[in-house]
Amino acid sequence: MVVDVLLGLGVALELLCCLGVLVMRTTYDRLHYVAAGTTVPAFLILAAVLVREHLSSGGLDAIAAVGLAFLLNPVLVIATARVARRIDGLEAPKA
Amino acid sequence: MNAFEIAATALLFGFVPLGVVAVRTRTIDGLVALEAAGVLTVLVLLCFAEGFHRSFEFGVAVVAAVMSWASGLLFARFLGRWL
Repeated sequence: MVVDVLLGLGVALELLCCLGVLVMRTTYDRLHYVAAGTTVPAFLILAAVLVREHLSSGGLDAIAAVGLAFLLNPVLVIATARVARRIDGLEAPKA
Repeated sequence: MNAFEIAATALLFGFVPLGVVAVRTRTIDGLVALEAAGVLTVLVLLCFAEGFHRSFEFGVAVVAAVMSWASGLLFARFLGRWL
C-alpha cells in the first residue's frame, strides 16, 4: 500500500514535469521543470524502491542513481541556461 | 504486472511530450527535453529493475544517470560554441 502511494505520487509528479516542459514557452521556464524532475518525484520513487529493497545492493544502487541525478543535474541546468542566454544575446560579451 | 512495472510503463508516456518539444521547438529547447529524458530514463530503469527483481539492473540506472549528465554537458558545450 505504501509502495503504491509513493509510486503513484512519484509517477504523477514526474509526468507533470514532462508536461511542463511541453507547455512552457521559454527555455528558462522549461528548465525549471527539468530541475524539478530530479527532486521530489525522483525521491518518492527512490523511497518506494527502498521500502522493498531496504539497504541491499540494489537499494544502495538506487540511492546512488537518484543521488547522482539530484546532485549533478543543477550543474547541467545552469550550463544549459548560460548557453540559452548566449544564444538569446542576453549574456554580456567577455572583456 | 506488479506496481513497479506499471509505474515504469506509465513513466514511458513521459517521453511523448519531450519528443514533441525536441522536434518542434528550438535546438536549445530540444536539449532541455533531452535532459529531462535522461532523468526520466533513470527512473524508468529503477522501476523496471525493481519490477523484474533483477538487482544488477540497478547498476544500469547508475550508469545512465552519469552518462545522461555527461552527454547533456557535451551538447550544451557544443551548442554554446556553434549556435
